[in-house]
Amino acid sequence: MRWWVAVAWIEHLLKEGQKSVDEVEVFIVNGTSVSADLKKKKINLATRSVDCGLGIRTIHKGRIGSSSTNNPDQWEECLNAAIASGKLATPQEWRGLPEPEPLPTAPISFDASLSIEPPVVLDLIEKMLEGANKHQADVTAGSASLSSATITLANSHGVLYTNHYSGVSLSLEAIRGQSTGYEFDHSCFLDNVDPVATGQKATFFAAESENGKDIATGEYDILLSPIAYGELLGNVFIPALSGRNVHAGRSRLAQSLGKSVADPAIMMYDDPLLKKANGSVHWDAEGTPARRIDFIRDGILETFAYDLKTAYRFGKTSTSSAIRGGFGGLPSIGHHNFIVDGKRNTVSDERVLYIHNVVGAHTANPMSGDFSVEISNAFWMQGGEYETPIRSAMLTGNVFDMHHEIIGLSKESRAIGSMILPSVKINKQRIIGK
Amino acid sequence: MPGIQYYDLRHVTGQVTHIDIDNGVVESAGTSFFNKAVIRVLNKTGWGVIQIDNFSPCSGKKFEALLESAGRLARITREKVVLGQVPRGILPVPPMKEDPREVSIEEKSSLLSEIEMAARHPLVVNRRANFIEKIEQVRFTDSSANEYSYEMCRSGFNILAVASRNGNIQMGYEREHSIHGFNLRHRQPMGKKAADVAASLLDAGTAKGGKMRAVLDPELAGVFAHEAVGHASEGDLIHEGNSVLKGKTGQKIGNDNLTIVDDPGILEFGFDPVDAEGVAVRRTEIIRKGIINAFLHNRETLSSVGNGDAGHARAMPGEPPLVRMSNTFIEAGDSTQKEIFEECRDGIFLKGSRGGQVDPGRGIFQFNAEYGYLIKNGECTTMVRDVSLSGEILRTLHGISLCGNVRTMSPGYCGKGGQNVPVSDGAPYILLCDAVVGGSGVD
Repeated sequence: MRWWVAVAWIEHLLKEGQKSVDEVEVFIVNGTSVSADLKKKKINLATRSVDCGLGIRTIHKGRIGSSSTNNPDQWEECLNAAIASGKLATPQEWRGLPEPEPLPTAPISFDASLSIEPPVVLDLIEKMLEGANKHQADVTAGSASLSSATITLANSHGVLYTNHYSGVSLSLEAIRGQSTGYEFDHSCFLDNVDPVATGQKATFFAAESENGKDIATGEYDILLSPIAYGELLGNVFIPALSGRNVHAGRSRLAQSLGKSVADPAIMMYDDPLLKKANGSVHWDAEGTPARRIDFIRDGILETFAYDLKTAYRFGKTSTSSAIRGGFGGLPSIGHHNFIVDGKRNTVSDERVLYIHNVVGAHTANPMSGDFSVEISNAFWMQGGEYETPIRSAMLTGNVFDMHHEIIGLSKESRAIGSMILPSVKINKQRIIGK
Repeated sequence: MPGIQYYDLRHVTGQVTHIDIDNGVVESAGTSFFNKAVIRVLNKTGWGVIQIDNFSPCSGKKFEALLESAGRLARITREKVVLGQVPRGILPVPPMKEDPREVSIEEKSSLLSEIEMAARHPLVVNRRANFIEKIEQVRFTDSSANEYSYEMCRSGFNILAVASRNGNIQMGYEREHSIHGFNLRHRQPMGKKAADVAASLLDAGTAKGGKMRAVLDPELAGVFAHEAVGHASEGDLIHEGNSVLKGKTGQKIGNDNLTIVDDPGILEFGFDPVDAEGVAVRRTEIIRKGIINAFLHNRETLSSVGNGDAGHARAMPGEPPLVRMSNTFIEAGDSTQKEIFEECRDGIFLKGSRGGQVDPGRGIFQFNAEYGYLIKNGECTTMVRDVSLSGEILRTLHGISLCGNVRTMSPGYCGKGGQNVPVSDGAPYILLCDAVVGGSGVD
């Protein structure tokens, strides 16, 4: 769809909606992607997708309605469904959708030179396989994909923002005997992904983890890779920072503002304006100008995340934390680039149990933070070197409590989805051997 | 068309109605619409696939242009694909006892609110109830002139109760999803149960991790079958060499009392009248009397791997089909529940599921119970929380020493390759010896 064509019907939609409701907002996504999937070392499937959809939100006397469709021609039906939906919603305190602001229009997370075409995907796959050849393990599956999307947000106060995104993502799985390895990379810029390293790490972990040794049940200092740490952080800790969960009584951090919730060396913040980062935006999913939010400074909890709805209801201010998973549904509270930071040092000089990944983090108790997960690609590590692999064991503990036991952050960080995380060394965590 | 060996089109339209009630507040309620299609073209070297939002059915030159476009994509593929010969046919979609479309959203909202209100309890600080109803019209056609169409409605609800005391927060969670029609009436007891479980968990202890005997309730034992066996039997993983079950057909990995089945044709939440490649669905006995018997396949893996049944291809609207489970279960045995607890003597009883995950190549799985009880002298005693189990596929199944005589199924969703599909898992009560239990308790 051409942009100027879109504007005409957006204006029509907003005007039509205002005949029935106080405010109207429309969120439109147009995107395309190309990907290829590997079966062993051969490309088995190549896909192109053409995506479009729109989500409408209406607000009338504090009642919020919503609907969505991926047929733009059906916008009137969708608008009527949103208005009808609002009639069912419980009214709440509402102080209006954002007014337009003179925000920068140059996209932050967009690689204008990225060609969404099969040859680019083929090149990425070939480079991953080249990297994979460096270690003795078999490739089982993998994929590379390229995408771009245009997001338009408009509301009846005159907001009309548009933004462009791009994405490159890679993954490779490998096996040697009964030892598996998995690696991935993603960025909004083609130059920022390293397909050779992705392939090389996948086969490295499969090969290096073979012939693992047992570990006795007990307490050990552990080093969680950014992947393993991200699993626990994303499933338990970050949801507890959502203002909605806090005010609903679903967050263990609800009573902890101004208190210590992590080791004093730890900082956690959301920086939506970070250049070239995957989640960077100038405005959040409901048009609030994006800004940095410092959740935790020196281990002290300073704030929670809010969107407009939760902020208005509880007398707070939006922290520009509204996100959308797609065009459908209402915006919800999330983050853009969630960063864990603090004093960096070498974390693997002394002998430590390195855990590359965990199995089953989504089964953790998101309220209490208690978890027990299987560990994957775990090694005894010393002097920065991988030593003996661990065959199988469980890691059990509490995600909130373990943040007080953090004793080091690695010098390097990496992007895990919309999180940017270091490896995290943690004092005395419980391992259950088999 | 030159170079094209096969094509198919799966077009799904429909609508989703949802209601979200959080502590008495109707946060959102309404209906959204979707229209998605996927076209797959097979040439000599592999698949070219086009996914289209807002698809308009077309024929003649317009459709041929789509096929050509998909065929061009397939030029970068390098794997020769042969499709297996498969049975065709479609099962009737069972009639609904009450069609949700005939119930107004106001009434739905009121009934959901009653369930949510039933979760009130002095220790419960938050109640959240969600209703979801998804109606899909599916149309399938392929280059072999197979054509199927059907309409399915899946609806159901979840109720979450969160109890809190002195900084201790625990949750109780109940859900019911169905293909048999509207199911919000007379479900207040489920709200109360969620609240009672959440409140009880405030006083529950933590399990001491380690090896022990475990009794699994039907819901958790069903997840065990799904995670420990189901995924590793998926033909695509076998083909890729990413499953410990590869090459193990005929090998005994469990006791004679253990039979594990996947059957898309039974009328549970994972029911498919026909699979996503237009193949007739059928029962596949993955493990028969403890022996690895058959794998789950789509047409491609049936041909490349063999040993098993096609009819297990499933897809979200607009997505290419993958080999998936549907209704997966451990067949009932002949033990009574009393016999199972008596045989366990001292161990742990695990109830409900918070989900699980498997690394099929490594043969390691993990899954989590909602709560449990310590068993002493065959009797349930102290309640425990946050208990998970992990194990190795090829070793653990031998540990299933008893299977109960009544099987029940539980609905859920399963994720793979970025696609979530409705499934059900089930089992009788089972006794699992040498279970590796994860819990944070210590002596």
